[in-house]
Amino acid sequence: MQTPDVNWLAIGPDLALALAAAIILLVEVQWKPLTRTLGFIAAGGLFVASGLAVVQWFFAVDAASAGSFSELSAFSGMILMDGYAIFGRFALLVVTALGVGSGWQFFKDLGRRGAEGLALVLLATTGFSLMVSSNNLIMLFLGLEVGSIALYVLAGLTRQDKKADEAAIKYFLMGSFASAIFVYGVALLYAGTRQLTILGIGDFLSSFIVGSPGVILIGIGLVVVGLGFKVSAAPFHTWAPDVYEGAPAGIVGYLAGVAKIAGFAALARILLTAVDDFAWSFLPVIAAIAVLSMLLGSIMALVQSDVRRMLAYSGVAHAGFILTGVAGFSADGILFYLAVYAVQLVGAFAVVAMVSGSSGSSSDIGLYRGLSRRSPVLAGSLTVLLLGMAGLPLTSGFVAKFGVFADAWFNGYEWLVVVAVIASVIAFAFYLRIIVIMYMEDDEAEVIAVPGTVRWVLGIAVVATLIWGILPGTLLNIVADALPL
Amino acid sequence: MLTALILAPAVAAIVIALIPSKRREVHLPLGIALSIVPLGLAGYLFWVFEPLPGYQHTIDAVWYEPWGIGWTLGVDGISLPMVVLTALLIPIALGASTSITKRTKEFVVFTLLLEAGMLGAFLALDLFLFFVFFEAILIPMYFIIGIWGGERRIYASVKFFIYTALGSALMLAAIIGLAFSYSSEFGSTSFALADLMEVTLDSGTERWFFAAFALAFAIKVPLFPLHTWLPDAHVEAPTAGSVLLAAVLLKLGTYGLLRFNLALFPEASVDAVPIMGVIAVIGIIYGAVVAIVQPDLKKLVAYSSVSHLGFIVLGTFALTSGGLQGAVIQNVNHGLTTGALFLLVGMLYDRRHTKAIADFGGLQKVMPVFAGFFLFMTFASIGLPGLNGFVGEFLVLVGSYATLPVLAIIASFGVVLAAIYLLWAYERVFTGEPDKEENKVLHDLSPREIGLLAPLAILVLVIGLYPAVLLDKIGPSTEAVLDHIESSTDYVTPEPGRLDNVFTAGGDS
Repeated sequence: MQTPDVNWLAIGPDLALALAAAIILLVEVQWKPLTRTLGFIAAGGLFVASGLAVVQWFFAVDAASAGSFSELSAFSGMILMDGYAIFGRFALLVVTALGVGSGWQFFKDLGRRGAEGLALVLLATTGFSLMVSSNNLIMLFLGLEVGSIALYVLAGLTRQDKKADEAAIKYFLMGSFASAIFVYGVALLYAGTRQLTILGIGDFLSSFIVGSPGVILIGIGLVVVGLGFKVSAAPFHTWAPDVYEGAPAGIVGYLAGVAKIAGFAALARILLTAVDDFAWSFLPVIAAIAVLSMLLGSIMALVQSDVRRMLAYSGVAHAGFILTGVAGFSADGILFYLAVYAVQLVGAFAVVAMVSGSSGSSSDIGLYRGLSRRSPVLAGSLTVLLLGMAGLPLTSGFVAKFGVFADAWFNGYEWLVVVAVIASVIAFAFYLRIIVIMYMEDDEAEVIAVPGTVRWVLGIAVVATLIWGILPGTLLNIVADALPL
Repeated sequence: MLTALILAPAVAAIVIALIPSKRREVHLPLGIALSIVPLGLAGYLFWVFEPLPGYQHTIDAVWYEPWGIGWTLGVDGISLPMVVLTALLIPIALGASTSITKRTKEFVVFTLLLEAGMLGAFLALDLFLFFVFFEAILIPMYFIIGIWGGERRIYASVKFFIYTALGSALMLAAIIGLAFSYSSEFGSTSFALADLMEVTLDSGTERWFFAAFALAFAIKVPLFPLHTWLPDAHVEAPTAGSVLLAAVLLKLGTYGLLRFNLALFPEASVDAVPIMGVIAVIGIIYGAVVAIVQPDLKKLVAYSSVSHLGFIVLGTFALTSGGLQGAVIQNVNHGLTTGALFLLVGMLYDRRHTKAIADFGGLQKVMPVFAGFFLFMTFASIGLPGLNGFVGEFLVLVGSYATLPVLAIIASFGVVLAAIYLLWAYERVFTGEPDKEENKVLHDLSPREIGLLAPLAILVLVIGLYPAVLLDKIGPSTEAVLDHIESSTDYVTPEPGRLDNVFTAGGDS
């Protein structure tokens, strides 16, 4: 028996991350260094992985322009190196870097267990990175599990905090439930098509007339439900508010950001390439989930008094907006939306972590009273990011929303666009509520000092939000290069 | 040129934002000084503007190719007066804001950003770009009302934001829909106004799109019954905010109806004439009647805006050259007079910290110059011949009589009602003997305040005595709008409506 050739480039970034995680754990056991040293190792791992991802990118662009798409598939199609995968992977790496930067205080406060936290973060990113770049549903599932399990542990890492424990348990139970549903859907797809690769299923469905589409339809449905849990689309969102609220503040942004990117990237890849011949049958369902997510997320966010719960419900609404793009059946809108939203989310949670304290669990909206006085940097950044999430023009959020809305309209979902624009107006109300509290009410609470790492994270998030809002071409061109699937 | 006009205030805002907050004494003067730059550019633009139809100084740069969006700017006779008005009012509004002592820097920055947004919205000829500016304006205005406003500022600012955002959200859907229709007809994507005017829509779709655009602009104007955010926003906003809101922001609504609704949906516009006309007239009468009973001076001026803007919409949908010219010139007039009235009310408030009419009386004796300016602007607002308001209202009424005679007659009562509420307010505030002790010690206008009001007063007089200075530049563009409607529908402008009007210089036709 011959072992397949090892394509080092294809797994380079993931290997770098996993190695960095292993080194962090070993170094910790052997030398018990400062958390800072471990942070440098993590940063090094991320840096090498990003560098390799860039190399992959140029390789992929070259190969795609030469027409040799087979070079982009490694390990018998287990791993793909197409632009879509690399874009998703790069977005994950950026979000991880920003997440670790903004949650740095949290890792320091963990003391000796900071190493575990960092290693888990890197492993989670490795898993999700495999998930977005896999062409094989089993591999995709493995990536999903590696990432998700690491996130469950991260959510409960503080251990002393009851709320965090609750969040971790809830996240774990709901998450494993979702994984089970997902893998059952994969099994049914296999039963219906005898294919495990996404491209294979696509080929099969486009070259044969399927006698009994029922199995395949149920399989698609279960896959959508399973991933719907991961991206917290309504009605599969119930875990999100509790987890966002309970998990350590320093890590929530990362946790939410990577799960959304990976979940949606996988969902879009499956729906847009594997089963696109069945689009007529599941797009109405996607549209219905989108409507429910947008309206329920926006309306529930209005009545929250905790900023993290509010952001969780806003995340539900955003899942709805991204699903609008899925209904538009075009991947570039989705990728752009994911990238800008994840960056905004991490930035916003960096502020939340500063205001509630890195492992603190309260983020009552009252804590934000007069924040513009107490810390103009935090208030200003959060304002830009919230306006970005709200989708005001001149921020990347507007371009993202516009992109998915236009896709949906062009694909014949006019009514969905109308619902979506109304939902985004409802959403304005709660974003404005936070801004009102920060700017228009005064409070004499103490000034918040903002450490350097957080300043960097916020600076990057804010600049990205504005640049991509004013010159969307800078990112949209890259997204366009990332396609076709 | 036009790019510089939009970027000048934005750059000025950045410059001021970079000055440390501690140097609070420099922010406001520097802001005023820097806002002279766009004013100079706008003045130059007015000077070199040729009285021809079509857009001038056009810029068409690609923004993002695959989406067909562009940095497309241009100015014509309809947008030119608004651009000049905006650039003129910013330094005046800033100059009137010396009473703002809290967070001066942010105030100046937001005001300048507001200017950039408003200029952009008036100059944009790409619907995507227009929407960006149209919506982005909400942010600085929201902060201006919310931070520096009165007691119920938060309620007012959120209400303002949500109301206007709701309207524009549906417009966004319609813009996407238009672009889709364009791409299915021509095979490429474009958001340029000139391109989208080529689209042929079936009449059902066209009506829906018309409705979506009209809703966005009707909320902005605001037209009855969508006006409820306006009194709140006006009463709570600081003086500069009220001035800019009334003089420029609301004009985005009337401007949008004229620029986009008529141009993009000519057939639906012709069909909508009776509806829009009736709504406009209801606004005229309703605003005037409500203004009569207002106990608060600022609220009175706010409701007078509702009434006056009704005239502009009536003129727009009269679809005659008189009506359209009247609408455009009334846009300017209302900006000048109502802007000045809000300034005056703000100056009074700075002295007395009340806006209730009942708190005043006999101010004529104490503040003669102030009273003089107030009376002058009141007369301009009522439409006394020789002042600007007369020109606009006369054109609107004559122009709409040709197509909507009954509505024109009803609307003319609005002029009478305006005389009632404004003169009655004047009587209660200024005439008689000053009977309250606080009112006896009020000092008259300072040279600074006279300097702010004088340019507005001069323009009121100039437009009133020699309207051709504006109408010559407006005329060709409004004719072009009518020509477009006539060429794309079977609408024919009635004969008297096509007569070259009495105010145009020469009068040789």
